[in-house]
Amino acid sequence: MKLAIDGVSKQYAKKLWGLRDLRLELGPGVVGLLGPNGAGKSTLMRIIATVTRATEGRVLWNDHDIARSPDTLRAVLGYLPQDFGVYPHLTAIEFLEYMAAVKGLDARSARQRIDELLAVVNLAEARDRSLGGFSGGMKQRVGIAQALLNDPEVLIVDEPTAGLDPEERARFRNLLSELSGERIVIFSTHIVSDIEAIATDIAILSGGRLLAHGAPEDLLRAVEGKVWELVIPSAEMSAAKQQFLISTSVRRTDGVHVRIVAAENPGARAVPATPTLEDAYLHCISNQRTSAPQ
Amino acid sequence: MSKTNDRIRILYHLARADFLERVRRYSFVLTMGISIYLGYAAATGQLEMRVGDSRGVFNSAWIGGLMALVCSTFLSLAGFYVVKNTIERDRLTRVGEILASTPMSKTLYVMGKVLSNFLVLAAMVVILAISGIIMQVWHAEAPRVDLWKLLGPFLLIVLPAMALVAAVAVLFETIPGLRGGFGNVLYFFVWSVALATPIIASENNRSSLFDWAGLSVIWSSIGSAAKLPANQFSFSLSIGNQAHAGSTFQWNGVQWTPELILARLSWIAVALALALLAALLFDRFDPSKERSQRAISTPADSPVELAENLPPRTSIHAPPLTPLANRQSHFRFGAILLAELRLMLKGQKWWWYAVVAGFIVACAATPSASGRGMLLACAWFWPVLIWSKMGVRETRDQTSQLIFSAPHPIARQLPAVWLAGVGLALLTGSGFGGRLLFTGNWRGLLAWLIGALFIPTLALTLGVWSGSSKLFEIVYTLLWYVGPMHATLQLDFMGSAPGIESTRVPAFYLACAAAMAAIAILGRKRQLQT
Repeated sequence: MKLAIDGVSKQYAKKLWGLRDLRLELGPGVVGLLGPNGAGKSTLMRIIATVTRATEGRVLWNDHDIARSPDTLRAVLGYLPQDFGVYPHLTAIEFLEYMAAVKGLDARSARQRIDELLAVVNLAEARDRSLGGFSGGMKQRVGIAQALLNDPEVLIVDEPTAGLDPEERARFRNLLSELSGERIVIFSTHIVSDIEAIATDIAILSGGRLLAHGAPEDLLRAVEGKVWELVIPSAEMSAAKQQFLISTSVRRTDGVHVRIVAAENPGARAVPATPTLEDAYLHCISNQRTSAPQ
Repeated sequence: MSKTNDRIRILYHLARADFLERVRRYSFVLTMGISIYLGYAAATGQLEMRVGDSRGVFNSAWIGGLMALVCSTFLSLAGFYVVKNTIERDRLTRVGEILASTPMSKTLYVMGKVLSNFLVLAAMVVILAISGIIMQVWHAEAPRVDLWKLLGPFLLIVLPAMALVAAVAVLFETIPGLRGGFGNVLYFFVWSVALATPIIASENNRSSLFDWAGLSVIWSSIGSAAKLPANQFSFSLSIGNQAHAGSTFQWNGVQWTPELILARLSWIAVALALALLAALLFDRFDPSKERSQRAISTPADSPVELAENLPPRTSIHAPPLTPLANRQSHFRFGAILLAELRLMLKGQKWWWYAVVAGFIVACAATPSASGRGMLLACAWFWPVLIWSKMGVRETRDQTSQLIFSAPHPIARQLPAVWLAGVGLALLTGSGFGGRLLFTGNWRGLLAWLIGALFIPTLALTLGVWSGSSKLFEIVYTLLWYVGPMHATLQLDFMGSAPGIESTRVPAFYLACAAAMAAIAILGRKRQLQT
């Protein structure tokens, strides 16, 4: 089971590139795609999901070019796009039955799978209600269920936790973690905490380019010794923001507790801190911004 | 004073933004292209206006009158469909919800939309007015261009009519039942009747108060100039007619009396009144006022209430999923066809099926062949709003990414949609087909079957390529009205006219259906590759 992204670029207009020369090799596990808005995460996911084609490069699923034979991947693919709709007049169960037919599931497996999935996404009680009356979070859960219908080998979920309440987010993270054994899960988000617990691999994208790719430990190692905690008076906060890359800040009675990502010790009162994935992500993005030509 | 200025500024920006958004769209370019073609047709003599066997000398008055009639008739129909989406777009893009949260009044919003509609239509009128000037220079029968005589009909006949169309389009958008496909179909009939009423009155030498398009203003003036006896007076406007008129006469234009000018301008007042009515009916994007199916299916439940009605969750750990024994997909065409058919018919009420049953029985029981043909035409018009969603549903309901990432979307899902449409045609027309089968009229049966293939193929092709139900609703209504309803043999794509089976007409529509099916596949391929 191997998904190789080989020099993929996507051009939208003459001087507008969504992706530039992206190279990645993915095996079983959860790969977290991180990046700011417009980084190219959704573009990459659409290309892998065979919804759009790369302008340059290839995506190989078990050595088959998916642009030439998209159905080899589609047969084992589960895809939850960032923006998707549902048929408002169908009930949840009818919609999933429809999607099961489109995906080519046999009737018996489909029925059992739909029942289980509705329980998994906590919609068993709402199974016979029209989707038109569902809230955004409920529709998102229907989307998650349809993506898992065919027990996919490749599961692509683009911002899947958008619109979910904290409890559902945790539930979904646990589900993905349980599912990730013998399949490739590609999970895109810009919320680092969503993937830090479950990702076996992280890819950071910005401006359509791959900035970093590796295990979370590798990314954390890169920022080792570069994270500091410091308490500063509120009045100095504005100046500190100008001067340093601040990861988090919390107001307390003794001042503002800030986490700073910096190669050098930012001040005498600063103490070294254990890096988090969020620190590593910010470090990576900020490095790219400072090194990019003005 | 400053409040008034503020309102004018808001109105200006509303209309401007809307106008710019629309003129940058493909549909606008297409309609402008048709306007330019009409202008070209007029300038090159392909579009001709005749009174009996004669025509007027190509002076400024005649050309202005001719072009004004073209504008009033063509733009009042096509233009309506071009502009009737301005509020819907705000609804779909959810810009409406943002606008609704601002202090802007409903009246101001609706007026802005009417103004924007009017500007779009006026842009098309300007193209035709310029064509008029070119036409006069081209023909050179009367070289002196009299701008008032040429442009007066545009100002006093066409623009008030366009103001009315602009307001009616917004009014249709504010009435829930007329917002969608039903409104598109209904407008065609409203337009036909509204256009015919003053024409009939004029032919009977009566003046009509309802001459919104201003046709009788020009006709009665031309009739007097042609000096034809009332019983010989006949008028025609034709495209592509290259035969030359027998004689010419001089017409110096409409005598614009203050009463006549006032009568024409009063249509602008009617448009304003309709705009105010639309403002009154406008729901300000309040979802609770939307009369949608979802509201009917979940009567008192808002989405939030629905979520709250669910049982409390006890665990953040989901129950385990049983792995599928066989992950290989099994192609079950019957299942996908049934799923598409169910999706197609979902939400139809019992009375919809009752009407279908009525048509089936009536078609089977009617002894007269022409009566049966008329009933088939009606039976195959009844599902127009269902067929019009073919090929569009994935775009409209934003499920394209889900469907297109499933295996073989062209080889499986697209034929299933098409066959579901054909199945619907066979079902609704089964009374007619059953009778042909019963009487052993095999050639007639073949013509009927071709009709059942042609309609859904047309719907699918137009849906896939336009991404909207509207184009099929307009084209099909027009074809249906001119063809089967008027028993025009060449346009009888349904095979409903008596004796059609012994002509080449069914073969022609079979070829059309095959070509359109190929075009639909190409369109879907294009959607998959973008």
